[in-house]
Amino acid sequence: MTGTTVGARAPRLTLRRRRQLAGALFALPAVALVAGLIAVPIGQAIYYSFTQWDGLTSTWIGPSTWTQAFHNPNLWTALENNAWLLLAVPFALGLPLLIAMLLHQRVIGWKIFRSIYFLPTAISWVVLGLVAERFFAFQGTLNSLLHFFGLTHVNTNMLGYESTALSALGITFVFTMIGTNTMLFLTGLATLDTSLEEAARIDGAGRWRIFRHITLPHLSRFIQLAFVMTVIALFSALFSLIFVMTGGGPGYATTTMEFLIYQTGFAQGDFGTAALYGLILFVLTAIVGIVQLRLIGSDE
Amino acid sequence: MSLDTPPVAPEVPADRRARARRVGRGALFLVMIGVAVVMLYPFWVMIVDSLKSENQFLSGHGFSWASWRTLTSTIPIAQEVVSSTIICAVSILLILLVGLPAGFAFAKLRFRASGVIFLAIVSAMMVPLQAILMPEFVNITRLGLTGGYTGAVLVYAALGTPFSVFLFATYFRGVPDELIEAGIVDGLGYVGALWRLVVPIAIPAIATVTVLQFIQIWDDLLVGLLFIQNTSERPITVGLAVLAAGRTTSIPALMAGSLVSALPAMIVYLIFQRYLVKGLTMGIDR
Repeated sequence: MTGTTVGARAPRLTLRRRRQLAGALFALPAVALVAGLIAVPIGQAIYYSFTQWDGLTSTWIGPSTWTQAFHNPNLWTALENNAWLLLAVPFALGLPLLIAMLLHQRVIGWKIFRSIYFLPTAISWVVLGLVAERFFAFQGTLNSLLHFFGLTHVNTNMLGYESTALSALGITFVFTMIGTNTMLFLTGLATLDTSLEEAARIDGAGRWRIFRHITLPHLSRFIQLAFVMTVIALFSALFSLIFVMTGGGPGYATTTMEFLIYQTGFAQGDFGTAALYGLILFVLTAIVGIVQLRLIGSDE
Repeated sequence: MSLDTPPVAPEVPADRRARARRVGRGALFLVMIGVAVVMLYPFWVMIVDSLKSENQFLSGHGFSWASWRTLTSTIPIAQEVVSSTIICAVSILLILLVGLPAGFAFAKLRFRASGVIFLAIVSAMMVPLQAILMPEFVNITRLGLTGGYTGAVLVYAALGTPFSVFLFATYFRGVPDELIEAGIVDGLGYVGALWRLVVPIAIPAIATVTVLQFIQIWDDLLVGLLFIQNTSERPITVGLAVLAAGRTTSIPALMAGSLVSALPAMIVYLIFQRYLVKGLTMGIDR
């Protein structure tokens, strides 16, 4: 009796172990790739942030590199620019929400409109940056529009001045996010049970009340996801736009954290400080990332 | 309102409501056209500005094919498109080769600490390249991988793997265990089962990863800019960005090049739109 149990158990155990072994081997390449090219560099960045480093030789300096970095006005300018750009986030969420609501009304040809609205999503931000530069240029579309509406004496050159360049960048950012966020919200609206809205309407609820009490709560998870994606893009995807539109200028007017890292490392050759700035960016995105992980986690 | 409402209207409120709705729909349609104009603006700029000679561009009038005729001599566009294509294809292949088995393992072949490792990989999704840019650049350069496409491909693969692992794992969790068990018991072995059973099931997930990564990599600037040393191996976005930053190239030529660079991603996008949406909302839309 006991003999048969043991006999039956032994091969099953090996089967389980074989399965685990297969699992570990299947996961290994991905783990190695992520460890080698993402995890290890984080560790290196921590080490190098305490050194003077030009990419070839590094000399240990210690924590004073950090105090020194925090005394650098450029760092604060970059952080400040990032903070100002956060003002674009409500627009990058609100406009797509509005557009998604419009599309959801399903007027004639809404599918064609949907494709058109999403189309800029496919284009590189390098190209969109080039186009935005044309829009804001002295002889660009913005001034033509202003002239068309009778403001013939107004001539803007938003990218040319420290006071307005960041706003121009923010406006471009909002435009580039519209497609993705509209897509997210429209998907959310599609999962909304229309009978619920219908019932509320029959009960005499106005449009605003239906939106406020039924549509918006239903979309909350999609709005959260869009918020996280938008903020992360704001911190780490503006590089292409800045590179083609302003090069970080005029002065440091459009230098964000990610661009400061690039400039410090590759224009000034100060790899140590750039690595340190990278860690600051890492912490900033990690804060947003924790929100995102909780989002994913609460779903399981 | 009262003027164009016929006196009989109060007796037939349904008629008035229908008309109000029609007016509302008409207004909505106009708003949607307005939004469409804004969203099509980049394409309009690219087309109109590329169809001018440099002088016509400066004066703001005229039409010419000049910038298109001389495009290949102003920008090494063919070579750049080839570079972009190679980089995209190899990176995506690598991401799939690495991500699919891993996603499958985390979903169906759980091993010791697989939960923690999965969480660590998913967290890597949140690490922007800029945060680790300096060590990454020095490592890849020291390994001598910036000479060809290898360095850029590795970086793209590493950046794309976390999301693809997450997406595949989520996808495979929805597949019944028995399907795979049966294959393994049938003597296919794990690799055989992966290849003959799992891959065919995973086609929609593979499509989603491919489309998302194609657009991501095709459109990227930073990796191509730093991890590819030879100008003759530059991808198209890098070529355009460097020319634009130099501010010496004619804008019509730049716009023609931009249009060429935008076309492949737009075509992929229009054909595979639904996979893109699926990938984007993965994890909350189930």
